[in-house]
Amino acid sequence: MTFPRPTRILLYVVLILFVFAFVIPFWADITTSLKTNMDVIVTVPVVPPLDGILRIFGLVSPSPTLEPWMIAFQIMGRPLLNSLEFTIFATILSCLIGSINGYVLSKIRFRGSNMIFLFFSIAIFIPYQTVLIPLVLTMSRLGLFNTLAALILAHTTYGIPICTLLFRNFYKDIPESLTMAAKTDGAGTWRIYQSILLPLSALPFVVAGVFQFTSIWNDYLFGLVLAQGIDAQPASVALANLKGTSTASWNVLMAGAIWYALPLVIVYLVLGKYLIKGYMAGAVKG
Amino acid sequence: MVKVVIKNLTKKYGEVQAVKNLDLQIEDKEFFILLGPSGCGKSTALLCIAGLLRPDRGEIWFDDKLVTNPQRGVYLPPQQRQVAMVFQDYALYPHMTVFRNIAFPLEVRNESRNEVLRKVKATAELLGISQLLDRKPKQLSGGQRQRVALGRAIVREPRIFLMDEPLANLDAKLRVYMRVELKKLHQKLGTTTVYVTHDQVEAMCLGDRVAVLKDGILQQVAAPTELYDAPKNTFVAGFIGSPPMNMLNGKLVKKNGNLVVDLGVATFELPNWTQEKLKETQASEVVLGIRPEDIVLTGRYQENTIEAKVEMLESIGREIHIHLTVGEYSIVVVTTPAEDVKVGQPAWIVLNEEKIHVFDGKTEELMA
Repeated sequence: MTFPRPTRILLYVVLILFVFAFVIPFWADITTSLKTNMDVIVTVPVVPPLDGILRIFGLVSPSPTLEPWMIAFQIMGRPLLNSLEFTIFATILSCLIGSINGYVLSKIRFRGSNMIFLFFSIAIFIPYQTVLIPLVLTMSRLGLFNTLAALILAHTTYGIPICTLLFRNFYKDIPESLTMAAKTDGAGTWRIYQSILLPLSALPFVVAGVFQFTSIWNDYLFGLVLAQGIDAQPASVALANLKGTSTASWNVLMAGAIWYALPLVIVYLVLGKYLIKGYMAGAVKG
Repeated sequence: MVKVVIKNLTKKYGEVQAVKNLDLQIEDKEFFILLGPSGCGKSTALLCIAGLLRPDRGEIWFDDKLVTNPQRGVYLPPQQRQVAMVFQDYALYPHMTVFRNIAFPLEVRNESRNEVLRKVKATAELLGISQLLDRKPKQLSGGQRQRVALGRAIVREPRIFLMDEPLANLDAKLRVYMRVELKKLHQKLGTTTVYVTHDQVEAMCLGDRVAVLKDGILQQVAAPTELYDAPKNTFVAGFIGSPPMNMLNGKLVKKNGNLVVDLGVATFELPNWTQEKLKETQASEVVLGIRPEDIVLTGRYQENTIEAKVEMLESIGREIHIHLTVGEYSIVVVTTPAEDVKVGQPAWIVLNEEKIHVFDGKTEELMA
């Protein structure tokens, strides 16, 4: 048996340290969320609430409770549903529109198409803050202030440029002979998209979809200014509100954070495999 | 089944003239070849016929229907031209089975399910791919993909087949086989076919007539044998035939009242039939062209022979290619292996006087 070389051992030590650095906050999040208010104050955050087991080793440890999770869900249940609703709708809409835009910009030649594409590319870099006031004014004049529709509209619009870029670059690599063949076969513009390009787009849909889902789900600013009431309040805003002005129930806050992170974790667990494939596909093609 | 007439077709990509004032008439049921080196504009012309590319100027007629005329704003989209195209990369839809690939043009036209089923099956049988109908394109070999692409083209009985180097991606053996299949298919279906290739052998084998293009300009349109026997200029002469025609640059001079070509190292007395044609010419520089099989080697000096030296022998079994040098020129002679020739040996070449070509050295056009 050969021993690993010293440099390799050093590498593993460093990597393990990094893993600890990343995992400890999550670990503290979980342990704290399972403690009572009093236990949060008297114990170190990283100590798990495993009363019976730790006492064997002579350690002081609190007993676990699920109460913070219940309280957090009572407060965050509705906002979580809100968030799910507008995130899913806006993700699907922005991907679909981005895909159609990408098709038009990559496969149909027309005067000014490069200029339009340039505008799309610039739009990616517009910061949220700069459009905040006009956005709120527009939404309230449309009568959409405090509604989920406002959030769907805002996030869809904001997501279209990046989705367009992603899909255009993907479609550009699909050989032109394919669309030419479809044209001579008699298919029109829409039919070519529907029958040829759309079925070939599973990968970019996963990549753009996960990207959009993550950034819309994590958004705080649009949610804060467009939805003041409980009817449309996103989970990100509700989570921030868990931290009261004078007191902070850390256990409830941590439980709320876990509830909030759950959908994203599920999305990555389900689609992670395809996501890596999608990123790699892009990387190889350049 | 349709006759295609192209008038004055011109297409530019930026500053590059892809096709320049092209005039062509492709007859009904004809197997017509567009031949030329890469970048000669043959594919551009094909895409214009298909309607996949808008020319800058010119007209395209299908029988008596005008389908393209940019000046008059006439441009029939490809969907309505009833042409079928076969691409070099086959352009099969990767997510569809062979059946659905072939059925696609029918489905687009909303033909009934039974009709689609019947036609796809008949087409698959014709091409011998019935057992592949459930497969996806990536599970097929190159030759099989080629057949599927053909199937997709013929299933809807188009008025014209357009083929853009359809055999270029196949290996040599399969290419020869598919070439024969294509010819048979055309004989069976009789559909007007326009076929683009850079391979002169393919062009000669398949074409009823061949149009040779260079730098977007039409050089000559003729039947393959005519193209071979009577090339209009040095480009066509050099492009058609393998090994290519031998070309010797020389000066046209008068000697004892007869025209001779002075090659520097030797002179060649032009035969009587050319004397008449060249009588009036002003040109002094000429190119003497002779096909490798129209030269005979002899072991000793005779009248009107040219001295040469044997440099290399290439035996390809059925025939032997003898590479010789005449002064600064290298020429190739094709003979039967029976001939006893050795490298380094001096030899005299006799040109078949009936088969020589005389081109103008400046314009490169055929003079006699």
